[in-house]
Amino acid sequence: MTVGIHARRPRTHVTGAASAAVRPVLEAPRSPARVLAVFPAGAYLEVRTELEPSVLAVITGAATRLPNSVLLAADLPRVTVGDEAAVGDGSVELGRLSVRARRWWDPAPPLGRVDPVRLRQAAPRLTPGEPGLAGNDAIELLAAGCASGRLLSAVTAAERLVGLGPGLTPSGDDVLAGLLVTLRHLGAAAGADRAVWLADWLAATVTYDARTRTTPISATLLHCAARGEASPEVIAVLRGIAGRQELEPARRQLRRLGHTSGSDLLQGISIGLDTVLAMTEAPSPVLVPEAPRPVPAPEAPSLTCAMSVTA
Amino acid sequence: MTRDAVLLRKGVYHDSVTLMRVSRSLSDLPGMRVAIVAMATELNLALARDLGFDLPPADPGDLLVALRGDSVDTATGELDHALARLSASRTQAAADQPPLTTLSAARSPAGLVLVSVPGEHAFVEALDAVHAGLPVMIFSDGVPVAQERRLKLLAEERDVLVMGPDCGTAVIAGVGLGFANVLRPGPVGVVAASGTGAQQVTSLLDQAGAGVSHVLGVGGRDLSAEVGGLSTMRALRMLDDDPATELIVLVSKPPDPAVARAVQEVVETLGTPVVSALLGERDLTAATEEALRALGRPVPAWESWPGWSPTSAYTKLKGVYSGGTLCAEASLIAGAGEFTDYGDDAYTRGRAHPMIDPTLRLEALARVEPGDVTLMDVVLGHGADPDPAASLASAVAHATHHGATVVVALIGTEGDPQGLHRQAAAFREAGAAVFTSNAQAARHARNLL
Amino acid sequence: MTLLSVPPHVITVGAGLLQEALDAQAVPTTAVAWRPPLPGTADALARVLADPRLPAANERAVGRLTSARPQLVGVRRASEVLDLPERMFLHAGPPIDWERASGPMRGALIGAMLLEEYVRDVPSAEEQLASGRIRLEPCHRHATVGPMAGVVSPSMWMLEVRDAEHGGTAYCSLNEGLGKVLRYGAYGPEVLERLRWMDRVLGPVLSAAIELGGPIDLRAMIAQALQMGDELHNRNRAATSLLLRELAPWVVEAAAGSAAEVLRFVNGNDHFFLNAAMAAGKVSTDAARNVPGSSMVVAMARNGTDFGVQVSGLGDRWFTGPAGVPDGLYLGAYGPADANPDIGDSTITETSGLGGFAMAASPAIVRFVGGEVADAVAATRSMYEITLAEHPAYQIPGLGFRGTPVGIDITLVARTGVLPVVNTGIAGRVAGTGQVGAGLVKPPVEAFTAALLALADDRKRSI
Repeated sequence: MTVGIHARRPRTHVTGAASAAVRPVLEAPRSPARVLAVFPAGAYLEVRTELEPSVLAVITGAATRLPNSVLLAADLPRVTVGDEAAVGDGSVELGRLSVRARRWWDPAPPLGRVDPVRLRQAAPRLTPGEPGLAGNDAIELLAAGCASGRLLSAVTAAERLVGLGPGLTPSGDDVLAGLLVTLRHLGAAAGADRAVWLADWLAATVTYDARTRTTPISATLLHCAARGEASPEVIAVLRGIAGRQELEPARRQLRRLGHTSGSDLLQGISIGLDTVLAMTEAPSPVLVPEAPRPVPAPEAPSLTCAMSVTA
Repeated sequence: MTRDAVLLRKGVYHDSVTLMRVSRSLSDLPGMRVAIVAMATELNLALARDLGFDLPPADPGDLLVALRGDSVDTATGELDHALARLSASRTQAAADQPPLTTLSAARSPAGLVLVSVPGEHAFVEALDAVHAGLPVMIFSDGVPVAQERRLKLLAEERDVLVMGPDCGTAVIAGVGLGFANVLRPGPVGVVAASGTGAQQVTSLLDQAGAGVSHVLGVGGRDLSAEVGGLSTMRALRMLDDDPATELIVLVSKPPDPAVARAVQEVVETLGTPVVSALLGERDLTAATEEALRALGRPVPAWESWPGWSPTSAYTKLKGVYSGGTLCAEASLIAGAGEFTDYGDDAYTRGRAHPMIDPTLRLEALARVEPGDVTLMDVVLGHGADPDPAASLASAVAHATHHGATVVVALIGTEGDPQGLHRQAAAFREAGAAVFTSNAQAARHARNLL
Repeated sequence: MTLLSVPPHVITVGAGLLQEALDAQAVPTTAVAWRPPLPGTADALARVLADPRLPAANERAVGRLTSARPQLVGVRRASEVLDLPERMFLHAGPPIDWERASGPMRGALIGAMLLEEYVRDVPSAEEQLASGRIRLEPCHRHATVGPMAGVVSPSMWMLEVRDAEHGGTAYCSLNEGLGKVLRYGAYGPEVLERLRWMDRVLGPVLSAAIELGGPIDLRAMIAQALQMGDELHNRNRAATSLLLRELAPWVVEAAAGSAAEVLRFVNGNDHFFLNAAMAAGKVSTDAARNVPGSSMVVAMARNGTDFGVQVSGLGDRWFTGPAGVPDGLYLGAYGPADANPDIGDSTITETSGLGGFAMAASPAIVRFVGGEVADAVAATRSMYEITLAEHPAYQIPGLGFRGTPVGIDITLVARTGVLPVVNTGIAGRVAGTGQVGAGLVKPPVEAFTAALLALADDRKRSI
């Protein structure tokens, strides 16, 4: 049974590498997709699927290896926004190309165990530069809520930040992504179960309606971050904090990403690090919602979260 | 009219595998009987002389072309096309001076060196890597053991890993080097003194959904008394230090006893559990299953398509292998039979490895007699024959039609370029019984007798 | 141990099949364009490269070569500063006797006999030289270098160059200009007349000028000239101008009467600086001699018959092969048939990272040596493949101020089969003809392989 998505044209078969996060989407039955945006070194494809990531970044050369990327071993085909494409049955069909993965990389490599003392040493060296939302009160609320373990403040702030700011990946989303990835990885590495627990709640909050609250690419990246998946630049900073590589070069490299994306991610990482530190200092902080309030059920997302993080 | 043509091209160098591919495409031309396109080394000159070619004096740096057939001119034309294609890709790279040595290449940032030059030259390139502080994988075989020892001692000083010589496979953070399979990322790290042994273990792990962090090859001689397991011990410590690795599988032929003790001492200092798959102690499939249990994961039924074999009396078991460790494992399990490892040096002199060039195994299959059970491995992955079934399946069909039975141990993953299931289907259709576990294939073959 | 943290950038050397497999995985790679080493060198290479002393020895050798600070400290008579008794001449290249000497070498020796007035006519000069009563020794043995025939006789004035870093001293004669000159084997009356004027006027005036003005920093001057389009072997126009500018006031102060003729002479000879660059090269490479185990070349020199090489770890031994005939452009009606095989110590410039190695700095000369600008850039780029370092002071603007390739390693020559690029003048083969052209010359490969085998042999003995 073959259902043509559009008229079949002769395809050039090429290969490449892909983030393991996109494997389920790639191996699912073929679904139609559409070109969302095109850059010199890549294109974003929106796939009609319930799976996440639902937006794939098809990239070449030195483009950032986002956790939802398929990296081509060839030049990017000539495509324009709105072009039809297809993803599934093991390949991505884009323009004249049909792409298969010959290598998989782990977008959420575990950090191993890390001594909280090391984290404390790293904290002051994590200056984020000039984040897009510097001084925004939602950021302050998020930082304060996380550090003090006040779940309601944290969740409220996170809700306000989703989609906040201009661009394809609004600053608010980048801060949240940096925070989520940090809580997951450093929380697990430092044995701060509370941090991972907080990550589960925040993940549930931000992914709940991300698809309607922010751009499709940013929503997908939030879903990835909720599972601890990030680009190598972010992972490198976390490795730097954990003392597994030099922190400063990694920090500088991350800062160079996008217009403010790098700084925003760093701001999120910094908030995450402070939170993990606070939660290892006080092993059982009092986590009481200040007032009764409905929060999205964390069960479903937290399950995937737990599976994707191995201490 | 059949005639000979001998050409020498000065100052043209291509690696032997590339030239063997050109030779093969030329000998496939209609009317061609012999086509040798090779560097004019003593070995290759002797080969051409044995075939009755009249050769002018030549330098090992010259390219020797010896053609025989009725379409020598067509072949010469084809050769020029083939070489032009090769040189075109080279000149493009040469616009900016390409590095001519590993030393020169290592002046720019890099993470690893992969050496596959002829064995007598591999030491020099590998030494550059170690001096530059870069880990190195030496795919080349035929490197003297004294050089291996020297490299590995130096690597201790420089704190780098030397994989090989004769290291057929490695996977670093998903990057497949040499003959490696396309594996999903996961918690198992492998230290392997055997390439195809590691491919069996990792392919089964992938099938079980467990995935692999890294495969560090160490070379077949690392656990000998002369080399002393230096790379094995280093690789174990590296994987122990790697946060992505939760469990280590050590794949090897039985090591030298003193080296085994030294390795055991290192294993005892590690925080990561180690499952050993030492040939003779336990088969590779059993070791893989133990690894899965240690991770608390279920052990699946390994995919197989035993098919139906007539119950007529089979009398003889023949092992027609390309992987040395797989061959030894099957022979141990079968207990009897005539096993040949076509990947052995004795068969690869002057021709490509049977994982690339099926010629010798096709000949072996053509010799199969009624009543034979033929047990063979087909190894998939990077670097291997892009479609082994395309040539081997018809030979298998021929054998099964003539009263023999063929059992295939198919080593690979669905993600491999050749596709595990596509290959399995082709061999099944040809009448073979197909197993993804070599041990199970060997048992099946044994039970047919 | 960072190997396992990220997918590595892979350097591949060998089978294209494995490179293709990495390409298919979109793994960043650097492919080495490997080819087998020069025939007969594989074992020697393995043995030499396994020498644990080698990396440090070569680092030391090239470190001394590139840290040398040559300064022009004086102009002195050869008989005063060199161990050069009567009836002995120095010559370019490895040792040679009259029997095997080529036309221009013989011509220059005859000229020196006449200049020193050891004889009155050419036949008796030839007779004396052929009899072996005149001692001939290589310049290199006497901390000296000479362009083309490189003949040094006791009365000649020498540039004296001192290495302010390591304290060595080296010498080179004064450049006579182009056309019919002794170094190309011409010995007619006008040649001798010029040499006598140099003896009488030029030498003493320059000597006095430098005494007044103090040492001249040749390292800085060469670095500057490279950025002004010289490569310091076949083009010395910028360096000569820089030197002239430096010298002029002191020449006037030292000898107002002859200043005009001295300055006019220097100004009229674009190659005047070559001899200073050569002495600078010599003093720098001498600093790198005799490092045990080092495989770095410290001299390349030709005597018109043989091309010789000396290696730091092999003392004063010469390794030779037949000198080739340069391939280039010819003056007037001259052609390849008129050319003598390669001659001169001027390859000390290449040995010290200048000349052919710095060709990318000198687009103006590429036409002269028969090529395009791209060829010059390619030539310099290819030399990085056989050298140990990039010169910290000598830089090439066109390559983003990358240091020139310096410190030829014979193991790299044998591994790559790439021979040093040498820019050179071409001498006429008949004594007395002079310069007939200029071009590129290929050193004989056997000089390098012989040196490598000797190093491997020494290594065998030392274990």
